[in-house]
Amino acid sequence: MIKKYLLYAFLSVTSVITLIPFIWMLGASFMFDGKASVFPPIFLPDPFTFTQYQILFERLNVWRNFFNSLILSSMVTVLYITFTSMAGYAFAKYRFRGKKFLFNLLLSSMIIPSQVTMLPLFLLLKSMGFINTYMAIIIPGLANIFGIFLIRQYCISIPDSLIEAARMDGATDFQIYRKVILPLAVPILVTLAIFSFLGTWNDFLWPLIALTDDSMYTLPVALANLMLEHTKDPELMMAGSVVTVIPVIIVFLALQKYYIKGIMMGSVKE
Amino acid sequence: MSEVILKNVCKIYDGGNKVVTDANFKVEDKEFVVLVGPSGCGKTTTLRMIAGLEEISSGEIFIDGKLVNNLPPKDRDIAMVFQNYALYPHMSVYENMAFGLKLKKVDKKEIDVRVKEAAKILSLEEYLNRKPKALSGGQRQRVAVGRAIVRKPKVFLFDEPLSNLDAKLRVQMRTEISKLHKQLGATMIYVTHDQTEAMTMGDRIVIMKDGIVNQVDTPLNLYNKPVNQFVAGFIGSPAMNFLSGTISEKSDLTFTSDKSELTFNFSSEQKSYLKEYIGQEVVIGIRPEDLSIEKTNIKSIEQECVLDVIEPMGNETFIYFEIEKVQFIARVKPLGDIKVGGKIKLYIDPEKIYLFDKKTGNHLFKNS
Ligand SMILES: Nc1ncnc2c1ncn2[C@@H]1O[C@H](COP(=O)(O)OP(=O)(O)O)[C@@H](O)[C@H]1O
Ligand SMILES: [Mg+2]
Repeated sequence: MIKKYLLYAFLSVTSVITLIPFIWMLGASFMFDGKASVFPPIFLPDPFTFTQYQILFERLNVWRNFFNSLILSSMVTVLYITFTSMAGYAFAKYRFRGKKFLFNLLLSSMIIPSQVTMLPLFLLLKSMGFINTYMAIIIPGLANIFGIFLIRQYCISIPDSLIEAARMDGATDFQIYRKVILPLAVPILVTLAIFSFLGTWNDFLWPLIALTDDSMYTLPVALANLMLEHTKDPELMMAGSVVTVIPVIIVFLALQKYYIKGIMMGSVKE
Repeated sequence: MSEVILKNVCKIYDGGNKVVTDANFKVEDKEFVVLVGPSGCGKTTTLRMIAGLEEISSGEIFIDGKLVNNLPPKDRDIAMVFQNYALYPHMSVYENMAFGLKLKKVDKKEIDVRVKEAAKILSLEEYLNRKPKALSGGQRQRVAVGRAIVRKPKVFLFDEPLSNLDAKLRVQMRTEISKLHKQLGATMIYVTHDQTEAMTMGDRIVIMKDGIVNQVDTPLNLYNKPVNQFVAGFIGSPAMNFLSGTISEKSDLTFTSDKSELTFNFSSEQKSYLKEYIGQEVVIGIRPEDLSIEKTNIKSIEQECVLDVIEPMGNETFIYFEIEKVQFIARVKPLGDIKVGGKIKLYIDPEKIYLFDKKTGNHLFKNS
């Protein structure tokens, strides 16, 4: 019992500590220039103002960048889930030549840091003529072994007899995937969808490299550009950060229920 | 007409493991055939080859006169009930049953009629909206059967459908499936390792051992005329008692057990076909129910034995004793007040003794 209270106390303290910068960001975004840079930091804007947001929307084509981020994150997520789930299911339940070798090869590719592949990837996409298009972001995000691995592990736990029952019921391979496997894999799919959406939304380096045009920028890239011009203006920066982070929080909250289920999968026997 | 014919069907798994060898049998239209045998003998594999879930290594399978070796399961017009039910966890009972029909693009109204009909037959009407998770084992089993019924297949396949149920429910479902068979007038192939299930349900039984079909026959014929020692020992509960010995001709044709604890003379009928076995080693088989505490036949052999275990069942009693260190069971009328360690006289009717060739295990029949 006491252990439980201690645990809750610890968790409360750490969550407050994590939240402080976040609250400060929110507060600072509603302050006039120069008001936020004081010590000790203040959290409540006095006076309260929307000026920073006004400036932000004047300086930047925020809607355009927001739209870019949204489209890219959504498309990457949908395609990523489609491809990784098919691949993961196939690795879990189909028998084909070279399956083990292929899977191990993919797994071993995890040890290569993404920075190493950035340049070759850039050159490859350039030769395909995709630099500075949405495709430059979408193609590298189509699938990765991390997602394939997770889905494979999940699918392995689905009994073969379910698939065979569907086959006896007259389902084609695609129908089995679509009507039996996908619904059963919802928790893991949602978890991966969150990873993928957040990852794409927050990604900075790759979009900075692959997108060269202002109008193609995602929010983090556009914001960083703004930062270069206005280093001494933390309030404006914070307003930009709030705009960037809010959609992500909404997505997370909306899917949180499934996400937690996904993390706990396998721990409770159904 | 929906008969199933297996011709020299073999299954060799990737590792070169031959688990079914030359299976040959025919399941007639509307017949209930049970595939029975000890665990690992290849029953499931055989059933899965019929279903199309497992490739046939060699041989031919015909369903309704059509060679199906290369047909995928969905084109064979069969339904299968799996051992673990294999219900779709994310679908309601109704959806589980309707799934196959929906895939076939059967008219919605027709689906509804068929699902409701099956639910009625299986007393599942109240549960149509429930998920499998919220059902008991017996109800899940029924849903699995219902999923097969609604498709109106040519042949039903069952793979140990009752093995996950408790004993009482198993007996109940047994009769329900038998009733269902009559009601639907369908061809059914049923796999089990339980000889009681096989004997009570099957019109005919296919007995397998180590991937080889030993005998295909009606329950009574299997019981009375087993082709070999394995079948004789497998069918019947408690199992048949075996004792090895030799046949010799002294004054008469005589069986003498290895240590001479049991000897008897054969009847004239038996003598006629045992002549050629003089001097050879044989195994005799005695069913527990053929051992009696009363002398019913003048020719009966009397054998005195020491009781090791007594199991009173009420209407009958199982007694355990040893002859030449081989454990025997007898199924006799309730005993008086004889205790373990006590002696009792048992009578064996020599005409009811089975004889097997010790080397091949084959039953020594009259005409063979
Ligand atoms: N996929 C497989 N690969 C290799 N061997 C298998 C496979 N499936 C079953 N076996 C083997 O085939 C034999 C028969 O199995 P099975 O048909 O399931 O037996 P039963 O249903 O009679 O218990 C067993 O020895 C089993 O180990
Ligand atoms: Mg089996």
